[in-house]
Amino acid sequence: MAREITYRDALREALREEMYRDERVFLMGEDIGAYGGSYAVTRGFLQEFGPKRVRDTPIAELGIVGAGIGAAIGGLRPVVELMTINFSLLALDQIVNHAAKLHYMFNGQFTAPVVIRTAAGFGQLGATHSQTFEHWFAHVPGLRVVMPAVPKDAKGFLKSAIRGNDPVIFIEHSLIYRNRGEVPDDEDFLLPLEGAEVRREGTDVTIVSWSRGYYLALGAAEELAREGIECEVIDLRVLRPLDIDTVVRSVQKTNRLVVVEEGWRTLAMGAEIAAAVQEKAFDYLDAPIARVGSLEVPMPYARNLERLVVPNKDQVVEAVRQVLYQKQPVAVG
Amino acid sequence: MVRETLPVMETEWFQPFTEQPIALLSEEGEWIGDFPLDLDETLLRQLYRDMLAVRLMDERFTVLLRTGKISFTAPMAGHEAAQVGVAHALRRGHDWAFPYYRDYGLALALGVPLVEIFGQMIGTRADPNKGRQMPCHPSSRPLNIFAAASTVASHIPPATGAALSMKIQGTGQVAVCTFGDGATSEGDWYAAINFAAVQRVPAVFVCENNRYAISVPYSCQTATRTIAEKAHAFGIPGYHVDGMDVLASYYVSREAIERARAGHGPSLVELVVYRYGAHSSADDDSRYRPREEVELWRQRDPLVRYQRFLARHGLWSEEWERQLREEIAREQAEAIEAAERAGEVPAEWMFDDVYAEPLWHLERQRALLRAELQ
Repeated sequence: MAREITYRDALREALREEMYRDERVFLMGEDIGAYGGSYAVTRGFLQEFGPKRVRDTPIAELGIVGAGIGAAIGGLRPVVELMTINFSLLALDQIVNHAAKLHYMFNGQFTAPVVIRTAAGFGQLGATHSQTFEHWFAHVPGLRVVMPAVPKDAKGFLKSAIRGNDPVIFIEHSLIYRNRGEVPDDEDFLLPLEGAEVRREGTDVTIVSWSRGYYLALGAAEELAREGIECEVIDLRVLRPLDIDTVVRSVQKTNRLVVVEEGWRTLAMGAEIAAAVQEKAFDYLDAPIARVGSLEVPMPYARNLERLVVPNKDQVVEAVRQVLYQKQPVAVG
Repeated sequence: MVRETLPVMETEWFQPFTEQPIALLSEEGEWIGDFPLDLDETLLRQLYRDMLAVRLMDERFTVLLRTGKISFTAPMAGHEAAQVGVAHALRRGHDWAFPYYRDYGLALALGVPLVEIFGQMIGTRADPNKGRQMPCHPSSRPLNIFAAASTVASHIPPATGAALSMKIQGTGQVAVCTFGDGATSEGDWYAAINFAAVQRVPAVFVCENNRYAISVPYSCQTATRTIAEKAHAFGIPGYHVDGMDVLASYYVSREAIERARAGHGPSLVELVVYRYGAHSSADDDSRYRPREEVELWRQRDPLVRYQRFLARHGLWSEEWERQLREEIAREQAEAIEAAERAGEVPAEWMFDDVYAEPLWHLERQRALLRAELQ
């Protein structure tokens, strides 16, 4: 059986179920207690689980993540929350030099199964609150980086991340917390933290994205379908390990690829995907790979400017037309 | 707010925030403590043996470096009393140590097998960590010794977190974290100790203040007279201690550790030491330290002071010293030989343990490397 719930509720269910299932699981972060989290994911948890397991911490991201790593080494299963991915910069050293490397450097003798939840997104919050850094983390061996787009993945990934033995960077998105989707009822519903998913089959062009970008891709695909252009939409879901094989298989079928990402394109996920696809499927490509991303400026605050900076559905549609060498829409029928 | 009732500490011999460093031995080796010495002869002798072993191991590291067998070393001579004193104040294998990169003395005194130490320094199969960690990061899973990243002070937040896990699980353990004076300038240091203090976790933060962060002197590092007084900012006690005095290092650390264990929260212990060697094998300290200064501190050698103490109590003789040196030299030579004999780390092991479970992309790399090597 399955129910339709929001992305936020999917996260809440995952946390609650895992906290009931395993008393080693506890939450730590800024404003997650009485306030309930900046995006209300942990609202009511303090009352339900008490201050021992829902811990408000001093505001120091490196302290939160570092203490999470230490608590994980000490045998607990911490889920730490960084208010937004912008603030994860303050904890980069802990994430890159400790979380990612402990299992390896200590030959598995010490492990740091910490889950670091954070949120990407924008919404007139200016240059320092509107960034996407998922590819920074995806660059680092030893981390698992997931960025679920739909409630089912949000729940299944979070539960697996908490039960697993690797450090996981779990990136949510401020603009999709209210999105709804079906989620299985099973309290042991888990999803392996790997593998992209083909969410819409098509034959003409492959569009790859993740998180909120997936919805742009889907919207563009639906619009183009009305003209008879069938896009295959892949939700990447996991950025490390990167399931390039699913993308390559799709490109071998469609021969054309568009990558949609929310942030700057330079040296980001789209660049990696394009490079990997030309390595593995060069002869299948009928057009240069197109990348849709934001303008390469720090995010401006003013509404009209922000709208111009972030990618939108129309740009995805245009990118598809570009890889199809189309100037004009194809007449239906 | 209801505070839990905490057990009263049996002994509280030391005052925090003293003007002068806390010392229990005079330079001539006299006991100047105002409480009775409660250590047995075996431990008193062991402290000396460990200090001597650390001094000799430091010399071994230099030889290994000069013969091209290791890539790096961070000399510890001058820190022996501090490191050995702290190590013996821990409950071995129960409490946790989060050492920094100059703390082989701590590891040695806690009982990390010599073959593992040299195996790790040289990077052979004798290293329990499969040759993955650079020299001077002494670790041991069985002994709860965790030395990870080299980024200065970055191991302090995890130490706080480990202490938090001890508090949550009620294990009765304590996490002891050591670092140099330079580390106290890092944000990690403030974040970690503040966190530990506000959550009252069983941690002890130990600064081995050797007055130089590589070449940068203490006076360029901080405007406070002591490191210990920084504890005021966290609302915890800070102890200013003569770290060239092994008994002072031991007793103050022990009190801080037992205080943490009893639930009274963390402390900051500053052990004032002097490093006789350069910061590491990568620098020449004569460019930033006057020789007269080094010589002055050499006159205060922690081994000599403690030797005088033992001699006063009939626990040291030249004969015993000779025996000890022979024994230690032999043990270390054998350990180096065993570490080298263990052989190179197999290349294919490189792909293990990046994740808890093997992942396909790493298996592909392993297969490619295997083909290349054949």
